[in-house]
Amino acid sequence: MRLRHLLATTVLSTGLATAALADSDWSLAEAAAPYAGTTVDVVFLLRPGYEAIEAMLPAFEEETGIKINIIKHPYENALGEQVRDFVAQGDLDIALIDLVWIGNFAENEWIVPVDEIQAKFPDAVDPDLDMDDFFPLVLNAFGGWNDTIYGLPFDNYSGLLFYNRCMLEEAGFDGPPETWADLKDVYGPALTKDGKYAYALQSKRNETQSADSFARMLWPFGGSFLDDEFRSNLLSDESQAGLQFRQELMAYMPDGIVAYDHAETVNAFAQGDVAMITEWSAFYSTVVSPETSSVADCVEIAPEPMGPAGRKPALGGFSLAVASQADDDEQAAAWLFIQWATSKANAREYLERGGVPARQSVYQEDGLEDFKFVPALVESWQDGVPEFRPRFAEWPEITEIVQEWGTRMMLGEVTTEEGAQEIGTRMEAVLDAAGYYSGDKPLAQ
Amino acid sequence: MRGKVSRKTILSFIGPAVIGLALVGIAPLLYALWTSLHFFNLTQLRRVEFIGLENYWTVLTDGAFWQAMGRTFFLLGTALPLQLALGLMIALVLHQPGLTLLKTLARLSLVLPMATTYAVVGLLGQVMFNQKFGVVNQLLGGADINWIGDPTNAFIMIIFWDVWQWTPFVALVLLASLTMVPGEIEEAARLETKSKWTVLRYVQLPYLLPGLVAVLILRTADTLKLFDMVFTLTRGGPGASTEFISLMIQRVGFRAFDQGLASAQAIILLIITIILAQNYIRVFYKEVN
Repeated sequence: MRLRHLLATTVLSTGLATAALADSDWSLAEAAAPYAGTTVDVVFLLRPGYEAIEAMLPAFEEETGIKINIIKHPYENALGEQVRDFVAQGDLDIALIDLVWIGNFAENEWIVPVDEIQAKFPDAVDPDLDMDDFFPLVLNAFGGWNDTIYGLPFDNYSGLLFYNRCMLEEAGFDGPPETWADLKDVYGPALTKDGKYAYALQSKRNETQSADSFARMLWPFGGSFLDDEFRSNLLSDESQAGLQFRQELMAYMPDGIVAYDHAETVNAFAQGDVAMITEWSAFYSTVVSPETSSVADCVEIAPEPMGPAGRKPALGGFSLAVASQADDDEQAAAWLFIQWATSKANAREYLERGGVPARQSVYQEDGLEDFKFVPALVESWQDGVPEFRPRFAEWPEITEIVQEWGTRMMLGEVTTEEGAQEIGTRMEAVLDAAGYYSGDKPLAQ
Repeated sequence: MRGKVSRKTILSFIGPAVIGLALVGIAPLLYALWTSLHFFNLTQLRRVEFIGLENYWTVLTDGAFWQAMGRTFFLLGTALPLQLALGLMIALVLHQPGLTLLKTLARLSLVLPMATTYAVVGLLGQVMFNQKFGVVNQLLGGADINWIGDPTNAFIMIIFWDVWQWTPFVALVLLASLTMVPGEIEEAARLETKSKWTVLRYVQLPYLLPGLVAVLILRTADTLKLFDMVFTLTRGGPGASTEFISLMIQRVGFRAFDQGLASAQAIILLIITIILAQNYIRVFYKEVN
């Protein structure tokens, strides 16, 4: 209901804002003319989706005269850099928002709702914006908070199962595992031998631990971080089943998996040391390129395996939103760039250059056979959980707790029950201090 | 002479330095002190409020803080003796007469580890200690040691890099101290005894003590502040096995954004550092007559 309401509001406002322009010949160049010469500062990550848009950028700058100043950071630094910039009223004109940062950014009013921007700069609204074309789950999870859309989905991920068809065939399998149980009990023993491993789960102690490893094992087993009352749900039978499953699955992973970040995991798969990984769609271009992968011809993609509660694949990704600290010209220029970068018109080129657009229309086009991840991605974006990780403002504190104790569980320093107890106690202390239990804050995710 | 220099002149010479020091050193410290007495989270600035000593109480009763402190002192207790022993050995070798060119080259090469940026050392470590293709495992005969992903091995790796980077510093300080020993006294002692230990203990050691105390103070402070190398190498992991106190403070202050709590941690760390430094001076330091 909430999602429907959110989309209806957004579509309506977009429609109102663009109605006046429907008959006019809107062009990016004309809309941008008043803002030519404006410089827009934005943080980008060191990932394929950003390289893709950077390669396309000269066309935008030439057409609009707007200069996009990209400040590159690794993921781990991106939140801190942006928070400090916004607190200090710095230079950033666009916020790059991971889905778990949206509550934080929105509640601090560091970003401007799309409605407000459209009302403020009606001439800058592209009549072809078509908010309806974004995957609803993605638009809601990546760009929406508390019934308001702030950002447009830009660098979009869903967890996918990347598997090495050649290794699986050699072991007698004609397809990937359908369930997590099969992956562990059938594929695991058959594929773990001679220094090769059936599976690798990136689990390094940073956001990778909490998002890619910990949360990935909660949802398919019916678990979750919180219950409806915002109390810890980590000691529930379902959550414990998932966390215990992760411990058992480690028998089929490389040693030292707690030191594996995305790079190590993708590399292990790309070098043929690991038969299967569950990674973000954004890494597709890395594993199918012969320049970076020795198994490029063997790579196949499937949706993540199902657990007792269903598929519930990992969901992650970023949106771009206009920063409230930017002046009017910068806000308008930023909005023009965001629309352009996430537009239907550019989605195909973005995809071909290694990005993953969130536009439904592009995946209905012909000639996408080379992008093997598309069917699995589209299916995953139907089954995903927006609250895969809680998106409220307190997540940065909570993720640190999950990272520490999640890793300790994997190392066997504490049991899954002890670790869940610790996380739960500390997580509830954070939520209590924030005012969720006293009623000062609504139980919003 | 003093009467001829006006107060204004004195102030104009000393003033800029005092103001600079106050701006760079004292003002941030006072701000940290103020922050530590408040609930001050960068992402919840609307909720900033005075909470007295609550942050300090939270720190002092937080097991994770003391575990991180224990880890830091364990690192200090293992790495520093190694640095002192190896540094003294190198200093004594370089103090021997002869082979001037080789000694000059050795002195120059000693500067290299210190000149290497801490963060780069960590990145080098990631590559060199990689379990699969790292040169360390290759040098160990193709061993399959999981350095970064195993808590004990990761700690050993940190000790190794700290010793690698800072033993030369200890060696250079002690070498400088050895040059302070009057040549005739050292020569006379060598004529008296063939025991190098006796010469070291009764002739050289008194001159080494000021340098040793300086090394103890600086290395203790450096270890308590150790951050860059560990951050780029293990990020405090796996688990919390290499989460030293400075990493913890950074995590609380800049990843959980709780500046108030992080400031309280930093102030407590500062107090511990000052107490340690004073004790070093009181226990070890003796002026050479």
